[in-house]
Amino acid sequence: MTTTMNTDGSTPNVGGGTRRVEDARLLTGSARYLADVADRDAWHVAIVRSPVAHARIRRIDLEAARRAPGVLAVVDGAELSSSSAPFGHLLPIPGIQPLEYWALAVHKVRFVGEPVVAVVATSRYAAEDALELVEIDYEELSPVVDVLAALEEGAPRLFDDWTSNEFLQAAYATGDLDEAFATADGVLTERIRQHRVIGLPLEGHGACGRFDASTGRLTLYASSQQPHNLRTVIASVTGLSEAAIDVIAPDMGGGFGNKQHFMREEALVALLAMRLEHAVVWSQDRTESFTASVHSREQIHDVEVAYRNDGRVLGLRVELYADLGSPTLYFTSAAPALVTTSLLAGCYDIEAYGYVLHAVATNKCPMGAYRGFGQPQAILTIERVMDLVAERLGMDPVDVRRVNFIPDAPRPFESPTGAQYDVGSFSEQFDDLLRLMDYEALRSRQEALRAQGRYLGIGVASMVEATAPNLHAIAGQFGGFEMALMTVHPDGHVSIQIGTKSQGQGHATVFAQLASEVFTIPASHVTVRDGDTTALPYGMGTWGSRSAVMGGGVVLKGAGQLRDKMTVIAAHMLGARPEEVTLAEGMFIVGEAALPFVVVAQAAYLHTFLLPPGMDMGLSAMVSYDPGNTSSFPDERGRMNVAATYATAAAGVVLEVDINTGEVEIERMVVIDDAGRLINPMIVDGQIQGAAAQAIGQILLEELVYGDDGQLRTTTLADYAIPIAGTVPRVDIGHRETPSPLLGGFRGAGEAAIVSGPAAIVNAIADAVAPLGVRITQTNLSSSRLRGLLRDAGVSIDPVAGRRFTRPRPPQHGADRLTASAT
Amino acid sequence: MSEHQIVLNVNGTSHTIEVEARTLLCDALRDGVGLLGTHAACEQGVCGSCTVLLDGTSVRSCLMFAVQGQGAELTTIEGVGSVDALHPVQEALSRHHGLQCGFCTAGVVMAGIELLAEHRSLTRHDIEVALSGNLCRCTGYVGIVDALEELAHRHASEGVSS
Repeated sequence: MTTTMNTDGSTPNVGGGTRRVEDARLLTGSARYLADVADRDAWHVAIVRSPVAHARIRRIDLEAARRAPGVLAVVDGAELSSSSAPFGHLLPIPGIQPLEYWALAVHKVRFVGEPVVAVVATSRYAAEDALELVEIDYEELSPVVDVLAALEEGAPRLFDDWTSNEFLQAAYATGDLDEAFATADGVLTERIRQHRVIGLPLEGHGACGRFDASTGRLTLYASSQQPHNLRTVIASVTGLSEAAIDVIAPDMGGGFGNKQHFMREEALVALLAMRLEHAVVWSQDRTESFTASVHSREQIHDVEVAYRNDGRVLGLRVELYADLGSPTLYFTSAAPALVTTSLLAGCYDIEAYGYVLHAVATNKCPMGAYRGFGQPQAILTIERVMDLVAERLGMDPVDVRRVNFIPDAPRPFESPTGAQYDVGSFSEQFDDLLRLMDYEALRSRQEALRAQGRYLGIGVASMVEATAPNLHAIAGQFGGFEMALMTVHPDGHVSIQIGTKSQGQGHATVFAQLASEVFTIPASHVTVRDGDTTALPYGMGTWGSRSAVMGGGVVLKGAGQLRDKMTVIAAHMLGARPEEVTLAEGMFIVGEAALPFVVVAQAAYLHTFLLPPGMDMGLSAMVSYDPGNTSSFPDERGRMNVAATYATAAAGVVLEVDINTGEVEIERMVVIDDAGRLINPMIVDGQIQGAAAQAIGQILLEELVYGDDGQLRTTTLADYAIPIAGTVPRVDIGHRETPSPLLGGFRGAGEAAIVSGPAAIVNAIADAVAPLGVRITQTNLSSSRLRGLLRDAGVSIDPVAGRRFTRPRPPQHGADRLTASAT
Repeated sequence: MSEHQIVLNVNGTSHTIEVEARTLLCDALRDGVGLLGTHAACEQGVCGSCTVLLDGTSVRSCLMFAVQGQGAELTTIEGVGSVDALHPVQEALSRHHGLQCGFCTAGVVMAGIELLAEHRSLTRHDIEVALSGNLCRCTGYVGIVDALEELAHRHASEGVSS
């Protein structure tokens, strides 16, 4: 990362790596996260969660718990469901199964960790003590844990009113698939398995509710990426009017998609606050976050690839099995898999493409959003396919990619599912990557090392990513627009209330940079706030790499409106025509005459006699922004443009596999990123570095492991290892700034390295071990998993030979220990 | 559950609070003393977010009982720098973009202060090993290690104390 910064407080330009205005609060313990906002007298909620994966609830006895010291209320699902509306789904997909569930389980539990009874007490200690006194009689049912087993005839069914465990099936085909496969020189058939991980923001989820019976107002603090949307959902569940609900998202300790969903516990806290007419707070503990929040990624892709001998891919058929866990998550567990289907052709011009998606319920934690949202799975599969075709043909993997890339023209390019790619050149971006990696030299080095019995791997992947998506088709509501309330105050300072809730991405800095550029005033004169439904009518939150595009767009739009109004005022004050006025360095200028920004601001409020006749007082704009180019629903061919714009990236990984230990050391990771025009390169580079760490964790360390009984075995950070300092290399980053056609020219920046990174890492590992006869078609490649694959391939390994690598490594993690018997 | 009146010396101020024998030090700091900058992220001693200094040595405040903190000088993030006058470790973390959401940051700052106070010379590898008990899900660590490396070099060349 080579970022220049201005540390002297001078006006940062857009495109400069200014330091973040958020930092001082965050560094000094002054920030206020969810657990910090509860009143000192708030009552604490603890939740009895199902200890079994699948059961009918026969009987619940709450009496002993109700008598426990400090306990104020104990509530079960039957009681709660009588005074609230259920969650459901709003997906307009033909044949989709019905789904209805309440904040607490009613009649049945469908995964270990499902909330069953809530205990409210004077302290968290007292509430947790009383959990053990709740008596629940479960009639255990056979759990179904494996997605393919769940589809078998006679498999235990999660929902009595469904015909099978298949929540939805979707199929689509475009181009002449039969012709493609009939004329192909070869057909590749593979099963690619992608394993289950968790986004794991370090601050768990949480909510704090307060209800004022005299006014009928509910205030709900929630660690939510989409506070305005959460208000809509809470209104539906509680029956309150949206006008009677304030949702406030305080500082957030990360989100990564896990806090994008509208959780049962958020509704539970709201309902308890209303019922008890007292402040109540729930703060998720780490085990709850593992067992009962949001898991991600698990899919099986059965691919059939028709290719020509020159490496050209003519057709792609994919049968996807998405393991939804219990689909009791709003919005639905199926959404990431629906996104996967739209991106399986990746950056390649594959005309004939078809898929069948089976989105299947199992007795596991609900599947949902994690940074990348279905896109990493798609890119992983198509990028693995490129390498496997290369292997078949004895070609260099980069040459197979070159013959398949989407050509540079036309733009937009319409993807097989109707996405309108408004992006730069894939092949030039790839050339940048290979140059920065020094690809040819790496291949020579690899050959030399192999001769010494060392296994260097080189992997590449390219991605295109929907940024600023529209969620209508996958969530039924919450489309793509954004809102901001922008005010120039009488002192010439500017405040922005915006709907894109920051979770650590530095929005207060970047939106101030944008407004500062339009108004030509110092960024330090611009204050940005978010996450408060009392201050802004609506907003769509932060997810899908949308904030620069949609939040940046609405800020530019609003700032432009206010600047234009101030220009008219300045012209009137100077006796000139508006088109004669220029704004530069905080001065409205006509010839030799100049009015400071603050003087015009004062006029709008305090010296209104200076305004043009008939002009509204004040300088405030409620702005909404939607580029208007996404489709809310598929057209008659089933195609739709899912996002306002698209970002691209290419990732390259160089690593070495120690075949005696199965350990992988990442020697180098290179990312060429095209996020359009950059607002703050330091922050964008930070997003890439952080997402790269998550990509490395996903492949080399992280795995949620369920037993056949549906018990999650990885329930602590000691069992589920995430990367630590020293295990993540400094990512070499190159930026291509192809402006998007939208306001500001921005594209999304938050997900490039996690959409492209896992594919590049898996490809590099596969490349490293290929000479040993090991074929990689899975994504969980921890040291023990890799040792197992090496052994299965007949490689003689010597675990006591000593580690090749000296970097720190996380403790032997759960997946390792739990699979030790297999190695 | 037995109640105890204890005195905690935190950031140079004595606080007399009532705790149960089982009350964790992190909960006592947050709920009893009212200092909310110490964050509990795993409560299992793995993530390091709740790190505070006890007589200058870093401890996981989720793995200690509040009563064990009696008689010691405790330092929390509130005792280190301020918004207007950041501590050099805080300043360096900001300059190197060594934080995003900030939830782990208090623990990183405390671990960093201890490390720089204890060692005159540190390699990058030393810093990585020392920080391996502080999990961060946002940054990918490079900015954090850069920040401490810069300070370590400055220490070595100038003998600046933290």
